[in-house]
Amino acid sequence: MRPEDKERILTELRSRLVDHYAQAAMTGGLPLEEVVADSVYHEQRRLKASKGKGRDRKDKVFWSGVRKRLGKATDKELRTHLGNAIDRYSQEVCGNFDDRVYQMATRMLPSALGLLLNSVSPKRLITRFGDLPGIDDTVVVQGEVEHLRRLHELGTVILVPTHVSNLDSIILGYGVYRLGLPPVVYGAGLNLFSNPLMSFFMHNLGAYTVDRRKQDPVYKAVLKEYATLSLEHGYDNLFFPGGTRSRSGAVENRLKLGLVGTGIRAYINNLRRNANRPKIFVVPTTLSFQLVLEAETLVDDFLKEVGKAQYIITDDEFSRPKRVFDFLNQLLGLDSKIFMTIGRGMDPFGNVVDDDGESLDPHGRRIDTQRYVWVDGKPEESPQRDMQYTRDLGDQIAKAFMRDNVLQATHITARAALTLFRKANPRTQLLRLLRMGGVHDAVEMRALYEEVDKLLERLRSMAHQGELRLSKLVQNSDTEAVVADALMHFGIYHARRALYRRGDRIYSEDRQLLFYYHNHLEGYGLESDAGLRPALSPDRRTLGQVA
Amino acid sequence: MDHVAVLGSGRLGSAVCGLLSGRNVPVKLWARRGETHDELRSRLPNVEISDDLAMAAAGASVVALAVPASAFEEVARAYGDIATGDQIVIHAVRGVCPGEDWLLPHTVLRRETCVRKIGVLGGPMYAPELAAGRPMGVVIASRFDEVSAAVQNLTKGTPLKAHPSHDVLGVEVAGAVSNVSALAVGMADALGLGEMARGIALTLGLSEAALLGRRLGALPDTFSGLAGVGDLIPRHVASTERHHAIGEALARGRPLAEAIGDKPCEGVDTAYLAAREAQRMGLDLQLISSVNAVCRGEMSADEALAKILKRDIDLDQAFDLHV
Repeated sequence: MRPEDKERILTELRSRLVDHYAQAAMTGGLPLEEVVADSVYHEQRRLKASKGKGRDRKDKVFWSGVRKRLGKATDKELRTHLGNAIDRYSQEVCGNFDDRVYQMATRMLPSALGLLLNSVSPKRLITRFGDLPGIDDTVVVQGEVEHLRRLHELGTVILVPTHVSNLDSIILGYGVYRLGLPPVVYGAGLNLFSNPLMSFFMHNLGAYTVDRRKQDPVYKAVLKEYATLSLEHGYDNLFFPGGTRSRSGAVENRLKLGLVGTGIRAYINNLRRNANRPKIFVVPTTLSFQLVLEAETLVDDFLKEVGKAQYIITDDEFSRPKRVFDFLNQLLGLDSKIFMTIGRGMDPFGNVVDDDGESLDPHGRRIDTQRYVWVDGKPEESPQRDMQYTRDLGDQIAKAFMRDNVLQATHITARAALTLFRKANPRTQLLRLLRMGGVHDAVEMRALYEEVDKLLERLRSMAHQGELRLSKLVQNSDTEAVVADALMHFGIYHARRALYRRGDRIYSEDRQLLFYYHNHLEGYGLESDAGLRPALSPDRRTLGQVA
Repeated sequence: MDHVAVLGSGRLGSAVCGLLSGRNVPVKLWARRGETHDELRSRLPNVEISDDLAMAAAGASVVALAVPASAFEEVARAYGDIATGDQIVIHAVRGVCPGEDWLLPHTVLRRETCVRKIGVLGGPMYAPELAAGRPMGVVIASRFDEVSAAVQNLTKGTPLKAHPSHDVLGVEVAGAVSNVSALAVGMADALGLGEMARGIALTLGLSEAALLGRRLGALPDTFSGLAGVGDLIPRHVASTERHHAIGEALARGRPLAEAIGDKPCEGVDTAYLAAREAQRMGLDLQLISSVNAVCRGEMSADEALAKILKRDIDLDQAFDLHV
């Protein structure tokens, strides 16, 4: 972000939010005193649990100062306290993006990711640069690439990707760079910045910090307003609408739309001030890995927490550089592909847009989208109305995710194998089957080939209809080659193999892992072909109904 | 004030025009057949009447689609050419759009136009009562609060009270299935089964509407409210008279084509598509499937009513009241 923009954005952020809270207080909302007291309460509660080092120590001093002065504060002083709290949050949130460092970071990233992730300092990285295996061929950026470039010229873009792994933002940052587009602004959990080197790259690929421990509503408002303002200033953004990484391995269906909804607000504000390029485009993007770095932890969390609220995983494979290095090294060694698929752009209301950035109705007729936000003929915000538009957008994003989901050999083979295990153990509930195994814990290779064959036929027909995508290998290879590729992948990296062959039979050492890869095909109604119930609930957040 | 466009000049369309023009709301009425214009003009002197749909609908703040389900898709598509995102669109269709797919009217509007602010009127509506200025309570369901507010504003000071709801899908399903129940009631009456049979058929129909609707994403409260239970109590509800007569004719052994004449019947189409949809979802809906079987000549009305009247009715389950 340009320093002058940063300054302007932070100033405007403060004044907008202070005005918003003051206005709300005058029209029956929470009085300012309570807003500030609420912030003090949430922050002091968080800080009580912290060790009080570094920034937290300074935070303690700041918030206890606010608390002391709160009782006697006048309205004007309350506005000042609130403004100071907003400033404090916004300074912490916005990254120290430096264009020169970005250029360097992106230049190095393609050919040195493996080392980067295992290095201790940027200096060491630079000295080793040049003689390492590259990821240039590994990351396949495909789909509506030209369309995305066009939309970037015509307005401001919000990339909304599926969220598989903590590596996603790096892959996406790199993909965006390779398309010749400027870095996208995105929020990333504080835990991702714990490795100094990762932190260096995250910041310089456009990341700003999101501290999920902070529960203060004012902090959340700062995050949203920062995203809105950066969009209004023409900075492309990236939001993960799934919220967190998919625990089950399935493509996200129930989306969190808070940040995505900032697109409408930015659009309305752009119209109100007659901005040059007022349009905001939302571009769904999918990521597909043959193997996922954190698969074991994620699926374990999914099954442990089935039906309960999920928590933030702070200690997983991503926080162990050796694991990351092994993962990438082994993946690169197999000539594996990571697909980043750019979908068709939409407006913030969920209508598709053409290459001229014009919104289209389902019959391809152009729409004047300004009218969606009219109140008495002028663009105005209307929270209830805009929430409905954002829901429509969310529905369209979820559909696009399914269409642009790239299925690879590991997903298809895992699907076929678990289907056979489920059919061979019809009396065993799925959760029990995954945890304890069934009576029949092996299937014949011949049966696996038959099942994969059936699946491939169905999936190729669906791909032909545009309902999903297949990797080149899956599209063009025969069944044996698809299964062989999957077994080869399952034979590396993961501590226990999701599938392995012994003689003419196939076994699983880790059925949870098998379930994770299997779930990448969930939501297409494939289980009915096999006479089974869906493995996951319709929103894919928990297990499906037990028969 | 921008005008209200009423598309369709049948009983409901005319009644809506009368209601609004009586409040000095500017109204433009689209009536497809030119030969009816003079008669309409004499009845609705303050309403601008046109056979050009675009002329009537362009620039309107509210567009009311007062056409039957059979014409809904065609009219929606034509309207889609001039529709704009700021327009509010209201309909009162009590049926599924005919064809081979389960298509509720709001889905058709989304497919055929760019409009989002869609509202559906449901509950006990009876055009002659509306035209006569008698008190009436209806449900206005929309995801957008401003749609309900606009309808309430337009009907302020009239005998029509509009109760807001957010459950578009539920109100549409309740209205559509009520016409299937009306067919069953017509059959029961023709067979001389009496008032009790009538009550059972209506109640079972409502419980099936709730089961189907909930599976599609509707809220249970909708079916226990004005759009559901409230719709069963008055004997006269929009379109039920015709459905009742068709049910009677079928029970007397007349073939479907003869019973419905040259006008499509929403309840017959709904029974067919709802039965298929229920089967696809693994739902066992006795009334809907039996009425469909009678309409298709696969079952006698006697046999259908015997099945319907024997069926257990579990409203607790239908309305999701199990604790």
